Amino acid sequence: MSKPVPPEKLAQAGAWLAALGVPAILLALLGFLLWRGVPGLSLALFFADTPPLAALRGAPVFDGLWPACLGTLALVALATAIAVPLGVASGIYLAEYATGRAKALLAFAIDLLAGIPSILMGLFGFALILFLRRTVAPDANTGLLLSALCLAVLVLPYVIGTTRLALENLPLQLRLTGASLGLSPGRTVRHLLLPAALPGIFSGVMLAVGRAAEDTAVILMTGVVANAGAPASLTGKYEALPFHIYYLAAEHQSPAELTQAFAAALVLLALTGLMFLAARVLQTRLERQWTTEPTP
Amino acid sequence: MDHRTDALNPAAIRIRHLSVSFANRPVLRDLSLDIPAGGLTFLLGRSGSGKTTLLRAINRLNECLPGCATCGQIELQLGATRLDAYAPSTPVEELRRRAGMVFQSPNVLPLSIARNLSLPLAVTLGLGAAECEARTEQALREVHLWNEVKNRLGAPAATLSGGQQQRLCLARTLALRPDILLLDEPTASLDFKAARQIEELLAELKLRYTLLVVSHSLSQAHRLADQVFVLHDGQRIEALPESTFRDKEALMSALDELV
Repeated sequence: MSKPVPPEKLAQAGAWLAALGVPAILLALLGFLLWRGVPGLSLALFFADTPPLAALRGAPVFDGLWPACLGTLALVALATAIAVPLGVASGIYLAEYATGRAKALLAFAIDLLAGIPSILMGLFGFALILFLRRTVAPDANTGLLLSALCLAVLVLPYVIGTTRLALENLPLQLRLTGASLGLSPGRTVRHLLLPAALPGIFSGVMLAVGRAAEDTAVILMTGVVANAGAPASLTGKYEALPFHIYYLAAEHQSPAELTQAFAAALVLLALTGLMFLAARVLQTRLERQWTTEPTP
Repeated sequence: MDHRTDALNPAAIRIRHLSVSFANRPVLRDLSLDIPAGGLTFLLGRSGSGKTTLLRAINRLNECLPGCATCGQIELQLGATRLDAYAPSTPVEELRRRAGMVFQSPNVLPLSIARNLSLPLAVTLGLGAAECEARTEQALREVHLWNEVKNRLGAPAATLSGGQQQRLCLARTLALRPDILLLDEPTASLDFKAARQIEELLAELKLRYTLLVVSHSLSQAHRLADQVFVLHDGQRIEALPESTFRDKEALMSALDELV
């Protein structure tokens, strides 16, 4: 009679399978996207009938992805410009200064905020515009800035959470060292703790960038349209890649248009990857500056 | 028992009725003692007797730990000024800079060798790059580390050996020009050779600074001390007469009796 497999071995095999599952799913997803999307990739996908060089110089593009790429870039840049300083500052406050009930209350509020579905955030933005129109600004309308604001609120909990965790997980010894060298608590945070927490903080920034780049529900309610062209002003309408994909996939008239949607999805993936890369480069540069160069 | 110096020769550190507790658990109770200016004072005692807490009470570092309550009085002679460590108006950052501390295990910052020294100089004293560089070199020479690191000042401090790291930490503290050095078992995590190097340094430094060293090592105290205190269970502090700690056998038997 064969011996029964020990439960430890079974658990080990299960853990291996689960660990292999993640890259397998990623590869399957990527493979499928490449298979369906690559045939649709061409300059015409981006610029349609407009000559590419003219489009890069600002000529209007109809039926191409270019305005949507610019829209998504502008949206992510604006949303992170709002969310990152606010989120990092809140994370610092929570980790370093808040105590007792204030800390518990604030942490609870942030957990609640993290649980709000993005469509609600979109509705909130929409309601805000309606309120503004009825009260102080009758001309207020949905647009790029409103979308970016709502997206910023949506991604804020990620930035706060990772900043707080990164700071709280730093060894006590680092704080003691800072204090023993005569650094005030504020300077210890600014010159020792924050730089040491940089990798953690940047993982939150990447989460925020990825989430802001892909979200469709918020922008659907707050200013994205199918054919706005490149974003012209903070209050104007704009195009964005996730909405473009959604629109093409839902309303496609021909197989070619569906292929375009897959190609657009590939472009969105590549764009997000580029933004991650930029964040990574910035992180490395900041770290190098902290560890070797003298303080100005 | 009190150990007080006379009025003509004020103590570098004067501690009166010091009690420290963490989360309402008393660690030190009503301690009074005087650490004379200059020279090397050893503080011996069992693990858990409160030696480190006593050391950290002097530069108010206990306050950085949760649930700490301190009462009593500590006065420090820092250069020409006499500072009441726990007075509300005392600039605690300056106090910590001038009563510099070196910890048990080398706590280099995750920075380059040079930046370990220049960052505190630039941040706490606001020194410019040239002055930082000069002080860095001077401090590294003072701990005999300059020749070993001068060609790789930009390398991470963590790439140094344990003994080198501890000397770097000592240099970092010296660069801030302290008056008093508080050393918490500075050789405990080092091998024999590295520990000997630190000991030789302490013997040099005691000619220029007031040193208070917490240690487990009787032989270290025997070789280096100008004065030895023994702390019992956080509530009794005993000075050993010089005849006792200069004689190894006598020191051993005295400690067996006391601790």
